[in-house]
Amino acid sequence: MSTDDIINDNDRVLITGANGFIGTRVVDTLLRYGYRNLVCLMRPSGQNSALMKIILERGSPPIEICRGNLLSREDCDKVTEGVSVIYHLAAGRGVKSYPDAFLNSVVTTRNLLEAAARTNRLKRFVGVSSFSVYSNLKLRRRDVLDETCEMDREPELRGEAYCYAKVRQDELTVDFCGRNGIPYVLVRPGTVFGPGNRGLPGRIGIDLLGLFLHLGGSNRIPFTYVDNCAEAIVLAGLRPGVGGEVFNVVDDDLPTSREFLNLYKKHVRRFRSIRVPRAAGYLLCSLWEKYSSWSRGQLPPVFNTRRWSNDWKGNRYSNEKLKTRLGWKPRVSFPVASKRFFEHERGL
Amino acid sequence: MTLRVGIVGCGKIADEHVFQIRRIPGCAIVGVCDREELMARQLSERFKINGYYDNLDNLLEKTAPQVIHITTPPQSHYELGMQALEAGCHVLMEKPFTITAEETKALIRHAEGKGLKITVDHDEQFTHAAIRMREMIQKGYLGGPPVHMESYYCYDFGNQQYARALLGDRTHWIRELPGSLLQNNISHGIARISEYIRGEQPEVIAQGFTSTFLKDLGEDEVIDELRVMIRDGRSSTAYFTFSSRMRPTLRAFRVYGERNALFMDHDQQTLIGVRGDRFKSYLEKFIPPYLYAKQYLSNAHVNMKYFLKNDFHMKSGMKKLIESFYRSIRENQPAPIPYREIILTSRIMDDIFRQIKY
Repeated sequence: MSTDDIINDNDRVLITGANGFIGTRVVDTLLRYGYRNLVCLMRPSGQNSALMKIILERGSPPIEICRGNLLSREDCDKVTEGVSVIYHLAAGRGVKSYPDAFLNSVVTTRNLLEAAARTNRLKRFVGVSSFSVYSNLKLRRRDVLDETCEMDREPELRGEAYCYAKVRQDELTVDFCGRNGIPYVLVRPGTVFGPGNRGLPGRIGIDLLGLFLHLGGSNRIPFTYVDNCAEAIVLAGLRPGVGGEVFNVVDDDLPTSREFLNLYKKHVRRFRSIRVPRAAGYLLCSLWEKYSSWSRGQLPPVFNTRRWSNDWKGNRYSNEKLKTRLGWKPRVSFPVASKRFFEHERGL
Repeated sequence: MTLRVGIVGCGKIADEHVFQIRRIPGCAIVGVCDREELMARQLSERFKINGYYDNLDNLLEKTAPQVIHITTPPQSHYELGMQALEAGCHVLMEKPFTITAEETKALIRHAEGKGLKITVDHDEQFTHAAIRMREMIQKGYLGGPPVHMESYYCYDFGNQQYARALLGDRTHWIRELPGSLLQNNISHGIARISEYIRGEQPEVIAQGFTSTFLKDLGEDEVIDELRVMIRDGRSSTAYFTFSSRMRPTLRAFRVYGERNALFMDHDQQTLIGVRGDRFKSYLEKFIPPYLYAKQYLSNAHVNMKYFLKNDFHMKSGMKKLIESFYRSIRENQPAPIPYREIILTSRIMDDIFRQIKY
């Protein structure tokens, strides 16, 4: 805890999605920082074993675990009561269904913000978003993708329900908070990895009918280790003078796609992969997109040039703003982070 | 003349309706509505539909649709259906048609009284394989009316996470249906039987229970295993199986006549004719496997042909059904699914739920 923080250790802090992959680490980081008055919101169903493990490891502080559904306005009112900071991590990860992703990201965020506005004592709302909201169509390869880049104006064309929902969620947050005077910060992590998040990310490649197509090549992957990411999120809710700001989260020493794939094969398991040259990857995505459009969806538009641009064009990334404005630095280095990740993958 | 279409309910299944409607010439989606306006807005934005509203009254008033697709949870089907019919719209209802057979009959009576068409999205009866099966039965392949049918409609919870999401949320709309999970899922499989069973009051014997999979998750209310025997007045019989644990997760229909039988697999889109005659002696061991292999190969070719002709979308049956429904409206022909079948499906489902005591 820092004396500069906008809250003190008695202030009530709400974490939605507290039992999730990042949420548990956010709770852990807050506890490590000395914040004890935590309200952890979890879905009405589901196990809370990951969260309980963290709580036990931290000496069982008396934090409040709430079961609730953000689609219920009553539940939102209940969990936001007396809260000073909200870390909003709960999101719809309906990979294929746009309505599901939208309902569980945008509608839930609207409900939460409305409830927060009614409490009238919120000092900061931290919306956890994603790199996927950016459009890099106007960027060239190797250009830096940072917080100044524009959001995708037509996210529905990306073929990814999650991307669409996250863009609309961020827009809603900015609009609602602006109109209602709620101080907010948006945090956009890159590719979050660590024990608990299985497999290789799509930016490296895709598994097609049992064959792994390596599409990332020499691109740097915007990795952030889950503990580092959680720390950035926590700081975004505590540090003064950053209201209305957006922070991208990536670690230092980012590996290339090829380097990470080789490490994965060496430390986790061997499998066959085929390197797809960039031009061929673009051509495949373009052809798929055209066929999908011509056939009116006989094949879904999951591969398209927008997705290629976002996932495989190959930009560079910056965490400068995160370091200078929030004082963040990645506590876990890439070698240590990857070792932990690979060990966990091997154990599965 | 372009048929003006409105959609009520902007959840997951509404996307499928929009996709299929847009593949049909001569119709246009003029508006969508959902009581959660954000949901209506996202659907209209993604599909470039002009009007979005947060209630049906506004949709009807502002866009004057001729057909309404109701894609809301089943609890609201009856009320919204009545409202749409009252406004002079034809109605395509997502399955299950209604919550009870009484509601089903009332809606159909109301539609008939108004000279309007109504149908239910039993799209799986309009897939390529289902249509081929129907044609073969009509041509007499079975050698008379069906003697016995087996309808399998299995369900895959996917993983524990999904099951927990559904089961843990006590307010989930599926849990609030009188027949819970079953009510939202079995109508496709029951409708296949309703199409071929004779008589209006078949005898229904049902047994339902909770699988060990759900019990291990702490669930003892939701029934996810169902076995049903149905017998009509003329002694045609049918078995219906719903299972969340059986593998493969069959969605199949088998119909046996006095001469031959037909086996249809929905997921594979295969239709296999099974001869009733037997070959002599050892020939029965050698020739039929070759004949089946030939039929499966032929099915693969047919499926590939449809794919290459760009007519093998995942929801191709829905397109066929909607297309047929719109044609019935334009040409004032009977709706594609006979009302008798819709009522019978509801009645059988009522009987099932009564016996397994939800």
